[in-house]
Amino acid sequence: MMDPLLENLLAGFVDEAQEIYERVARSMMELEKAPAQGPSFDELARGLHTLKGSAATLGLEELADFAHRMEDVVLPLRGSSKPLPARLSDAVLKSLDVWMAHLRAIAAKGQLPDLAPSVALLETVKPDAPVPAAAKSRKKKNGKGPTAAETLAERVARAPEPEPPAAPIPAPAEDAQADSWRVTTRQVIALLHEVERLREVRLRIEERRREIDKALQQLDRLGIQAETAEARSVLLGVRRALGADGEEAADIVASMEDGLKTISTMPVRTVIEPLRRAVRDICKATGKQAKLAVVGAEVSLDRRVLEQLRGPLVHLVRNAADHGLELPDVREARGKHPEGALAIRVEQQGNMLFIEVSDDGAGLDLEQIREAALRRALVPPEELANMSTQQLHQLIFRPGFSTKMEATEYSGRGVGLDVVRNQIQALQGQVEVQSVPGQGTRFVLTLPADLGSSPVLVVRCGEHQLGLPMVAVESSRGARSKDLRVGRSRVQLEHREQLIPVQDLGALVGLRQPEVPAEGQPLLILQSQGRTMALSVDEVLGDRELVIRPLPVEIRELAAYQGAATLARGELVLILRPDFIVNTERRADTGLTSTRRALVVDDSLTARALHRTALETGGYLVHTASNARQALEQLRHSAYDVMVCDIGMDEMDGYELTAAVRQRVETDSMPILLVSARDSENDRQRGLAVGADGFLTKKDCVSGRLLSEVSSVIARRKGAA
Amino acid sequence: MKVQPREPGGFAPELNELLVRRAQRIRQKPAEAEDENLLWVAEFPVGEETYALPLETLRAAVPLKMVTPVPLSPPHVIGILRFQGQIVTALSLASLLGGRGWREDPAVLLVVDPGFGRLVALDCERIPKPSGLPQAQVAEARARSSGATCEITLAGTRQVNLLDLLRLMDRRQGQEKR
Repeated sequence: MMDPLLENLLAGFVDEAQEIYERVARSMMELEKAPAQGPSFDELARGLHTLKGSAATLGLEELADFAHRMEDVVLPLRGSSKPLPARLSDAVLKSLDVWMAHLRAIAAKGQLPDLAPSVALLETVKPDAPVPAAAKSRKKKNGKGPTAAETLAERVARAPEPEPPAAPIPAPAEDAQADSWRVTTRQVIALLHEVERLREVRLRIEERRREIDKALQQLDRLGIQAETAEARSVLLGVRRALGADGEEAADIVASMEDGLKTISTMPVRTVIEPLRRAVRDICKATGKQAKLAVVGAEVSLDRRVLEQLRGPLVHLVRNAADHGLELPDVREARGKHPEGALAIRVEQQGNMLFIEVSDDGAGLDLEQIREAALRRALVPPEELANMSTQQLHQLIFRPGFSTKMEATEYSGRGVGLDVVRNQIQALQGQVEVQSVPGQGTRFVLTLPADLGSSPVLVVRCGEHQLGLPMVAVESSRGARSKDLRVGRSRVQLEHREQLIPVQDLGALVGLRQPEVPAEGQPLLILQSQGRTMALSVDEVLGDRELVIRPLPVEIRELAAYQGAATLARGELVLILRPDFIVNTERRADTGLTSTRRALVVDDSLTARALHRTALETGGYLVHTASNARQALEQLRHSAYDVMVCDIGMDEMDGYELTAAVRQRVETDSMPILLVSARDSENDRQRGLAVGADGFLTKKDCVSGRLLSEVSSVIARRKGAA
Repeated sequence: MKVQPREPGGFAPELNELLVRRAQRIRQKPAEAEDENLLWVAEFPVGEETYALPLETLRAAVPLKMVTPVPLSPPHVIGILRFQGQIVTALSLASLLGGRGWREDPAVLLVVDPGFGRLVALDCERIPKPSGLPQAQVAEARARSSGATCEITLAGTRQVNLLDLLRLMDRRQGQEKR
């Protein structure tokens, strides 16, 4: 039985060794193409030496000796002006795989892979150079000599040619360190929820501060300064303290959130880097040449998602190298560079993750797909004959599909793309394939990514704050009338010698009638789905790095939003979907084509919702305002058939608003229905006196009653006219 | 020690009768309290009517503040809010019930778990009061009702509309699909 202390050390060493393994493998691959010297060689030598030393420290003599043998093969070539010989690097890389597999097996108390074949392989590529002095002195220092190595030597003598390792893509490193703790996903998520709760506490502190502000304002209104001086002083002190507490809470939330983000996410490169090795191995085995380019490797994603993406990515990259790319001479004959280009592009847009795996190879061969489908009886011949190109492309995701007649080490077993699709679908994502014959193939994986953050531009529209993914914002500018072309049904902007449509964000999300941008009003130039347009907003509040989370199920199907994020002060901001904005046809969804329009003015969110429910049932297009000031602003730009207005509002009540509306020529005959929580004849009379056409209590505001009252006030106005 | 009456001359007959009735009621109370055949509910007004939802579905009653309105959402959606780390949809109960009048502008949100694994918030005019409804009557009313509420008439002809949250949400989803 293993010593518990040693067991713990071993677990840490596996992670450390994995990290070193990746560095060494990468250096080896670099040194295949460059002289065996410089930083890459230093990295390689240092890595092998660390593997050897750490293994020896833990008493893993056999592995220490094996690492030593790899050193024996590599170190004599230090300083050479030539790249590492292909056979040699092949042998060392394969040996490294076996070394790691052996170490993992020790840690997992599993079946130990035999090292002897790999040792034999190393012997075959060993340069004719004297054994480094370090190796001799090591034997002397140990005194007893490498017993395990002697056993190995005996086994080497009868060892067969080594088989290639079963899994050339080893398990992840994940930046683990020996002094780390193991924490479950559930624990981290629980902590994330706790941070959210703390953020809510911080919001409540802010709320308390606002309440104290109100109390101070009331005291000011009373005007009895001397009598309330002490109370004012206490309240001011509490207000100050709450402000400081709120700021501190905000700092703690931000710091904890950053820390948890580091724990729960990791850079995409940890999954992508090992793929370089896979590409290299396939090229060696098939005689192809390829270069793998990666864009977006630093994007940090949920560790769980990344783990599940590892398999699909391996499949896609292997397929691209083995199936997609042509042999160098074929490529040259087709006018291409002999070295094929493989690319992985990772991009997070809001809470969606896009991964593209592309190659510049031959593209999908439709004839081969048809033949393979027939050979494997995947589709009846008559159905196959009528399939479009896109439908034929989809066949490659069928279980058992492969165009290869014989299975190779890397593909052709008919296991792959169906598994990829299943795995991506399990992550609630989807896979698309695009291919152009002779030019290449591109797979696009789209999947939700709840963790991870994205840059968002926060704007104001009326009293609403909304976010726009920065990836869609090309630029911003102030509106100038000389650049605007105002037609009867649309507004266009002259932008870079082109006319692009202008949309009013407020109208787009159903908050108001479309407005022509005022002079200097911010315009955002947006690009999405190949379209460009200008979006007018009331104010640009700035860009933020936000974690976008999906909306609750009840409103998830709203096409306008991709999710919601929490701003620093704790308030939620809805994140718009750029494709919704540029897709002008969708404006019809907002109901802007309705003919009857109603303005609901009420400081109660829930009252506004209820009035809207009733009025929309009656076919009205409803705009809302939460106070009299906003209502007057709406009325300045738009005409309404009726205004339904609450009486009891702060600052300016319903009577005052009615009087103000009646004073404007444009609205002096607009039907107004006042609603009140109180059933008072005085209120009714007072409302009618200031110019209202009707009065209804909120308890009587059942759908039918409200609609009939609205119809009645409209009819009365028409009759009066 | 012997307990002496506070009123040496005794009480007036009507007062005495009242005290006797009270005493009887108090004596009965433990028996009622021990009665396990009650469904504990949170009771609250919606306009002129009384509604209730099973206490086990109620997670919290929070002030109707810090709700972010969602433009373009269905009219029964008041907005979204954060509750214990989750983003929760706030819904207008009166609207869900098909348009009811109300006495006071709702100031409370009831965060409830309708039983499909996520929370929603319903607006409410006042903080609800806990009360018990006889299980037998509840079962009978539920059997009679196929809608989102079932009417339970209690002693003194007091009527309580017991909400079936799952049906309430299902009905709304059904209406949206149509």
